[in-house]
Parts: sequence; C-alpha cells; structure tokens
Amino acid sequence: MAIIDELAALQEQTLAAIEAASDTSALDAVRVGVVGKSGTLTGYLRNMGQVQKEQRAAVGKAVNEARKVVEEALEARKAMLAAAELEASINASAVDVTLPGRAQQLGTRHLINRTCEEICDVFLGLGYTVATGPEVETDYYNFTALNAPADHPSRSMQDTFYVVDRSGDEAAVRGESDVLLRTQTSGVQVHCMEDQELPIYIVAPGKVFRRDVADPSHLPQFTQIEGLVVDKGITFGDLKGTLDYFCKAVFGPDRKTRFRAHYFPFTEPSAEVDVSCGVCHGEGCRMCKGTGWLEILGCGMVDPNVLEMSGIDPEVYSGFAFGVGVERVACLKYNVPDLRLLLQGDMRFLRQF
Amino acid sequence: MKVSLNWLNEYVDVPADLKAFCDRLDLTGTGVEGVEKTGAAFDKIVTAQVVEKQLHPDSDHLWVCKVDVGEWNTDDNGNPEPLQIVCGAQNFEQGDHIVTALVGATLPGDFTIKKSKLRGVTSMGMNCSERELGLSDSHEGIIVLPEDAPIGVPFADYLKMSDTVLDLEITPNRPDCLSMVGMAREVGAMYRADVALPLYELEEDASQPNAADLCTVEVQNPEHCARYTARVIKNVKIGPSPKWLAERVTAAGARSINNVVDVTNYILFLYGQPLHAFDFDKLVSADGKAHIIVRAAEDGEKFTTLDGEDRTLTSDMTVIATPERAVALAGVMGGLETEIEEDSTTVLLEAATFEHGRTSRTSRNLGLISESSMRYERGVDDNPIADYSAAAAALLAEVAGGVVCPGIVDVYGKRTEPRQLQFRIPRFTQMMGVEVPRADIIDILERLDCDVEDDGSDTLKVTAPTCRPDLEREIDLYEEVLRLWGMDLVPPTLPASPDRVGALTEDQLKLRVINRAMTAAGLNETTTYSFADPDELQKLRMPSEGLGDPVELINPMNAEQSIMRQSIIPGLLRSVAYNQAHGVKNVQLYETGVVYAAHEGQKKPKEKQKLAGMLAGCMRDATWNAPSVPFDFFDGKGAIESLARELAIAKLRFKALDADEAPFLQPGRAAQVLAGGSVLGWVGEIHPLAVAAYEAEAPVVAFELDLDALYKAARPARDYVDVPEFPPVSIDVAFVVNEDVTNERMVQYITSAGGKLLTDVRLFDVYRDDARVGVGKKSMAYALTFRAPDRTLIGEEVEKAVQKLKKKIAGAIGAEVRA
Repeated sequence: MAIIDELAALQEQTLAAIEAASDTSALDAVRVGVVGKSGTLTGYLRNMGQVQKEQRAAVGKAVNEARKVVEEALEARKAMLAAAELEASINASAVDVTLPGRAQQLGTRHLINRTCEEICDVFLGLGYTVATGPEVETDYYNFTALNAPADHPSRSMQDTFYVVDRSGDEAAVRGESDVLLRTQTSGVQVHCMEDQELPIYIVAPGKVFRRDVADPSHLPQFTQIEGLVVDKGITFGDLKGTLDYFCKAVFGPDRKTRFRAHYFPFTEPSAEVDVSCGVCHGEGCRMCKGTGWLEILGCGMVDPNVLEMSGIDPEVYSGFAFGVGVERVACLKYNVPDLRLLLQGDMRFLRQF
Repeated sequence: MKVSLNWLNEYVDVPADLKAFCDRLDLTGTGVEGVEKTGAAFDKIVTAQVVEKQLHPDSDHLWVCKVDVGEWNTDDNGNPEPLQIVCGAQNFEQGDHIVTALVGATLPGDFTIKKSKLRGVTSMGMNCSERELGLSDSHEGIIVLPEDAPIGVPFADYLKMSDTVLDLEITPNRPDCLSMVGMAREVGAMYRADVALPLYELEEDASQPNAADLCTVEVQNPEHCARYTARVIKNVKIGPSPKWLAERVTAAGARSINNVVDVTNYILFLYGQPLHAFDFDKLVSADGKAHIIVRAAEDGEKFTTLDGEDRTLTSDMTVIATPERAVALAGVMGGLETEIEEDSTTVLLEAATFEHGRTSRTSRNLGLISESSMRYERGVDDNPIADYSAAAAALLAEVAGGVVCPGIVDVYGKRTEPRQLQFRIPRFTQMMGVEVPRADIIDILERLDCDVEDDGSDTLKVTAPTCRPDLEREIDLYEEVLRLWGMDLVPPTLPASPDRVGALTEDQLKLRVINRAMTAAGLNETTTYSFADPDELQKLRMPSEGLGDPVELINPMNAEQSIMRQSIIPGLLRSVAYNQAHGVKNVQLYETGVVYAAHEGQKKPKEKQKLAGMLAGCMRDATWNAPSVPFDFFDGKGAIESLARELAIAKLRFKALDADEAPFLQPGRAAQVLAGGSVLGWVGEIHPLAVAAYEAEAPVVAFELDLDALYKAARPARDYVDVPEFPPVSIDVAFVVNEDVTNERMVQYITSAGGKLLTDVRLFDVYRDDARVGVGKKSMAYALTFRAPDRTLIGEEVEKAVQKLKKKIAGAIGAEVRA
C-alpha cells in the first residue's frame, strides 16, 4: 500500500530531521512542517476523504501512530535542546564574582553619638529614662545646687565659659555673669530632682564645655553622660553593682572594675571607677601606664546637701550619681589618638565607624 | 604632695611592699601620681662579710676571698653561697664586714664590674673603698663596716640613702594630708597602725626680752586672719642646714636655702603649717619695735615678692604690713625687702592662718601658687598654731643657734571649735549596703583623731578633730569609715525598686528615626563646634532675622569662637572645605544639635534643636557598573523626602525661595520645606559666593530643619491602606506647558481631574527642545495609575477618565497633550 509506505518514509525522514535540528527554533520548523496546521503529516489526516473507504481505518491508524512517534521524538528533542541551550546561556552569563557589588552607600553615625546611644541603651535596659537639659545654664544649676563652694577653682573664668547675661540681673557669685556654658550635665539632675516625681532613675547625656585649649587629649567642648538615682534604700552596693554592670556591658564581660575613694563636692562618699585594661588584662602596659587599670568615671552617693537643696529629705531617700566622659569611653574602645578628629568632620575619620 | 617614705617611716610603719602600699593609697583616696627612688646609684652594691681570706697562689699582695653577700648569690639549690673575689687591699681580716660591688654594678666614672680573672684566679666582684664609691677621696683600703653591720643589704639602704618619694594627689577636701603628720595619721588609719608623732621641747631664754616687748600684732579683720602669732628668735647664725634637714626639705620638693628658711619649710611639710621668717631688724619702726598689721591691701598697692616680681595688689588681698609698708602677701609669699639674708641675726617668726577664699583668689589672680597658698586655700587649722610655732622655734635654736625670746604674741580672733557629730550605725549600714563591725567603725574613727563616745546604743557620739575641716556632717564620717574599711568589700547589688520603667520619650524615639533616615540616605553624622565667629552669618550671606541675638561669651578661647552658633551650616561648610582641601571630594554630612538665640531682657538664651545636612561632590566615585552623579538640589530634597516618609509627615511641601528670602542660597535652587502650613526649614544649593567665602568648592547642597517642628509634624505611624486586590491600568501622558508651571501645580491638577480611580501620579520625564516642544516650554511626562478597589477596570473606563483629565488640564493650564 502506497500510503502506508509513504507514511513510513515520512516518519523516517521526520525522525532524522528532528535528530538533525540543532536548536529549538530549527526543531520548531520541523514541527510546523510535519505536524503543524499545514504540515505534511497533518495533510494525510486532512486528505483522509480521498482514501478508499476500506483503507481508511488502516491509514488513519498509521497516521496517528506516525504522529505519536513524531510528537514524542519532538518532545524528547525539545527537552534536550532546551537543557543544552539553558546550559549554554548560563555558561555565557557567568561573571567575575570578585567585581564590586551594587550597594547603596549608607551613612555612618558619629563615634561619640553612637557611643552615647550605646551607653543610654544599657541604662534603658536597667530601667532608666534619658533626660536632657539646656547647654547654657545658670551658675546655680551648674555649681551651687551641686554643692560646689563659691570659691571653687572650677568656677573661675579660667575654667568655665561665662555668657553675657541679658537680663540685667547682678551676678551673685562672679563679677560679670551668672550665666555659663554648662561644665557638666549634672544640672539636668537638679532640674529632675526639682521637677520629677520620686523615684528618679535617669541618665543625662549632653555636650559640656570647659576652657581647655584643643589638643590631642582635650577639647573645649565634649560629651558627658551623668546618671542619677534617687529612691528609698539605695546603697553604695547598688552604685557598685550598677557601674560594674555598665562597664561589663560597654567594655566586655571579662573586664573588672575597681572603686577608688575620691572627692567630689556633690557626692559623698565619692569614688573614681577604673576598668581593667583591655590590652594587658591587668598586667600593666603602655595603654594603662603600667597600672593595669583605666580610669573611666567618677561617682558617689548623692550628697545630702544636694538632695536637701532640691527639696528631697535625705533621711528618707538616698541615691547615687555618676558621670562618664563619652570621649574617654570611645577613645578607650577605639584607640583614637587625637580628640580633635571628633570635631573636624573629616570623612575619612567619620566613615570608619 | 611629695612624701619621703623614710621620713614617713619615722612616724608610722610603712609596709615593705611598695606596690601594695601604693594600691592601698589609691583605693583609699590618695592618688599616687609618681614613685621616685633615690639611691639608685648604688645599684648592686651590697654589704658583705669576708668568710675566708687566702693569699693568691701567684701573688704576694693579692688575696683570694670568699665573700658572703647573703641572698645576692645562691647555689643551685637556692641557698646563699659566698662569692670568690680577688682583692688587693691590705686593711681587712677574715670576718670583717665590708662593701662589695657585684657583677653588673656600675661605679662612679661609669666603671662596670665584670666577671674577671686576676693572674688565673676568677673574681666575681669587687670589694670597695670609699673613693671607688665616690663617697670620699680616701683610698687607704676597702671600707670596713662595724661588726654589727647586716650582710647582704643594699649599701644605699645601709647608708639610709635609699629613699622612695611618692608624689601624691591630695583631694581638695583634705588639707591635713598636705603634711607628713597628716599622712602618717592617714596611713595609720589605713593599716590600723599606731602613729608616733614628733615632739619638740622649746626652751625659752628668760634673759631675753619678751616677744611682746619686741613686737605688736594688729589684725584688722579676723574674718581674713583668724589667728596670727609672732615669736622672736635672736642671735641666729644663718648658714647651711645640717644634712638631715637639707635632705628632708629636698625630699619634700623644696630647695635647701639656709638653716632658717629650711626650718620654716620643714615645719610646713611636717605639720602643714606655713610659716614665715622675717628679718626682724628690717621690720622695726622708729621705736625699735616691729609693729605687725594684718590688713587688706589697697587697690593698686605695689609690692615686690620674694621671687623679685613686682605685684600690683587689689583690696581683695590681705597683706602683712608694718606702719610703713607691706612686708608680705598674706598666705602666699613674703616680701623681698624683709627676707632673711646671710647677715640676719634676729628672726620674727610668723605662724598664722588666713581665710582660704581670699588666699585662693589672690594666688590665682597673681598667678602665684606657693606651698603656703596651696595649704591656706584648702584651710589651715588655727588650734595648734602656737605649738607649731614653738616647734619651729625649738628647731631654730637647734640648727641656727638662736635664742628664743620668751612668749608669743598671739592674736586669736576666731577660734575653730571641734564639731560634735553623731554616727548612727544602722543608718550607715543601710546606706552602704554592708555591715561593718562596730569595733572597726570606732577604731577607724579614733585613728583619724576623732573622739568617739560609745554608750552601747546605735548612735556613736563623735568629735571630729579641727584639722579635718571636711568632717562636717555625719555623712562625712560614713565616707571615712567606708573608704578605710574598704570600698572593695561592699558586695555589688542592683537597686531593688520595682517602680521604674526604662523607656525613651516620643521625641527621643523620633530622633532615632531621624538618625536612621539620614544614614540610610547616605549622610554621615558629624559634630562641629557650638562656638562661632561673630562674622559667620554675614560671611554666609544668611540674614539674622528670626535667629535672635548672638550669645556672647565673656571669656572665649579666641575671637573665632567668641559667640555661640546661630546655625549649624557654617560649621558643616567648614568641614566640607576641610575635606575638599584634603582631597576628599565626595562629602555627605549631617549634624543634629543646638543653635542659640539671645534676647534682650532674658537671662538664658533660647536653645533650638536643628538638623542640618550638607552634600558636595557625589555619593561616590563611578564604579564599573554605576556612574557617579554629582549632587544637586534634588539630592538634598530627596533626603528630606525620605526623612518625611520615615517620620510619617503628612503634606510635605517645598516652596521656592527667592533671592530676597534666602540670599545665602542659589536663586532658583532653593526651597522652603513645609509640612502643611508649618515651616520645617529650608533646602537648597548654597550660594556660590557664600561657598567661596568659606573656601569650599560649589556646588554645595544643604538643608537645615527645625527638630521640634519635625517632631511636631511627625506621626507615630502611617495609616493602613488596603492592599489592592485588582490589577491597575497604567497610562503615560505628556503635557507641554510653560516653563513656570511647577510640578506641584501639575500634580494638583492631575489629581483633582483624574477622579477617584486615579491612584498614583508619577513624573518620569521632563523634556525641553526649542524646536519640538517650543521656546519657553517643557514637556512633562506622567505615568498615571488607575485602579478600582472592587473590580478589574476595563479599558474604556480608563480611556474615558484620561480623556476627561486631558481636557481639564488643557483648559486649566493651557497644557497641550503631546502625542
């Protein structure tokens, strides 16, 4: 039977063409030519009417079989070619992974403010709130209310910046003005003791000013965080525990603290706190000048005079206060050699942190 | 305060372990700032004993000795072993105590002792003569020490030349510790050790006239001088001090001058009582008597101090005077004219106390800090003054051969009484958080010279000594007990209070959002000086209206920092210039901080919190896959837009600022930033002339916003809007409009004309072309997004809305729709 033979030949031819198709578009051309709408194999089905009646069943079956074989071959070849093409395209799109990525350039925080926030967060975790206050203060809030004697050298024109008083008041302590740039953020504590409900658990970060010539280890403007707790039953042990926790949180859990008795007008008993040297771990090295310890803050129990001046009964309440130099903490953590870098705005410095 | 440990050791046992001693001083509040050892020149030179002496086998005058140097030489088991030393001296015998230089010792003349061989016999050191040690010229043989001399002791120690001098930081509340006696008491209390204080017996010469017949003292204001005493010592022979005295005052940091001056310094270091020795003969008036007057100086009064400096005095200063002239600056320094000189024979010895505040101011105002002023400004006890004067007189008699006239002239206007204090043991325990045994409390207080009355109750009655002006209140006693008993022994705890919550305020949280938004926008936080130059605003062309008057410093560090800043911009601009000058062209800075505004009639200035940013160059240099785009106005504006989004600020608006409103900004690239009707600040490119005035390179984009206004405009969160369920239809439309039509206006019109299906309007292109768009015109292309919340839109619906929109815009603005 001629048609059956034709079909067999067509199938043979088609299979060869499929095998020969080198890419999916060539394969598609084969598909369209054979099983497409006007494809050769499709033509047989379409022309079935012209086939003799008794042969129709056999021819129909043969066409369908051929179509099935061709379609399977097409499918198989397509899958193979697609895989090969994907592989080729993947190979072609390989990149040098060491080329720089496409990153957004994020900005950085200033070392001091970053450190300040870090310290405040430690105390937030201990149940403190963050208090702020004015940078231009009166003599009363910066000194008098903190028990500083009228003749204390820190009140002198050599040490403290005084500001022209525009009120026309006569200065009570110094000749010219009772208004000054705060030398400590302790004034915030006084405002809190006067204004806030007890108990008080605050830290007060902020800029402070002292008349020092800017050099590698001094700035006329720097940053302090002072803490104040006033509550019933506060002990010196609480002060020790709190600052010990603070030092470990900021410098690392393996660091030790020690309390050295000291003198400050607004606290009694007073102490300075050292943290063990992170370089030599207490053995003594250049960083700690051979002592094994780094001085980090001043603290003490709030002087009863200070409580009384703020209208708090020292027989009922007690408290502690401490002051940390943020520059000092930051410099110890990062070994910054010259404090003046902190105020220069040098991008090469700022972007390190 | 320099403390010689040899000297201190005379009054209290100083522990042998120097490091432990220094640590203990540090912990109890006396900071050790320096440790200086003297006697180091005799390093590795020790006392020894000759245990064997034999003639050298190859010599008739050399001896081979075995020399016991104690622990300085040991055998393999660590036991002391004598050294073999070959010696040529003939003046010693077996058993003699001698001085030996060990291998490694360096003798005067830089001669180092080495292991050597003398005629074939090994020698491990050298037995020393006085000349070899530089002690004298004697070279008659080696030094032979007394039989009871110890063996193996550093020779410097043996000679008592070895001393350690501590440089101590005495806190301003402890005048008592500025004396050897005070330090001895402190160390005694630290170690609970007994203290033996020096005693001086004064013999007055009854054959001499009474002091009261030789001098008078008048104190005009007892507030300025609580007590003034004068003694007269005759027939003194001025000369060098004996060795012990010179050593003591030298160790304490003074220069040995002569026997009389050294005695006054010795007493000052010993008791903390400043003294002054006048040449009596230079004080006497015509009646042959010295009339001492303690009075306020006259304003403008001239006076020459001992150091030869001419001083101009003020009425706030106190002088010691005769009726004729001032002879000393009270509490600070004596006068040149009445000083002790080589031919002086009669001394008027002043021992007094002066008010600390006046002394402090005098010394500071004259820039003259002396050992006396240091002590007076902290407070000198008036009670023991007569005793100390007597001690000084006794010493003057001893070392200068003086005879002491009977009696003392003592004007005692104001006596300090000892303070009676209580010590409630339970209150102490409660405040310190530790239980200190009662016996320890009492012992510590008593060792500090407090008088403690213990009736067995909870409360001790304590009388504080007058040498401790810092012990005024009960809490002061608590501090003493705590620091001496041991702060380190207090167990660390945390406050037990349940009544506390740690939280940031809303504004503090917003500030954190602001910092995050700024850094996310690529800006780097910086801090600049809060001080400013008075010309700064003018240089920036920034009008001062609304900024208040500058806050002026009375005592600035320099003229460029003599006021407080009224804007953060100059500081940032200086930083930009600094970076550019150092080759850093890409600068992105921001700062939050206070600016200050003074107002007439107001004591304190207004402090306003500001946020300022500044951009110059690009965000970064071009990379292989990203071009470098120079900053312009829109980068500043974009940072503010991001910030506003983060703060959920509604109705953020930018309004063009003209040259009159913002002369410091480049006209046409300047805008006011508003939230609804309230002004937040401004953004723009700094005027090229202002940039040049700061020696920076334009363009510089900047903004300055008011933080309080930002806080106020910020909302805690944006409102929730349903996530769209149905797909949008996007259509691009371009309008050709006149140059002066702003985007803001276009968006307003489009939004109102678009109907409620229009959900987003995004400008994606602005195009200018004289030929194709027209002169003075621009084409603005918008992507419009339509969406219905409840169904999928069909094309015709959108088509209709767009047609309506185009028609309305054309009508309203005269915009042409571009094909």
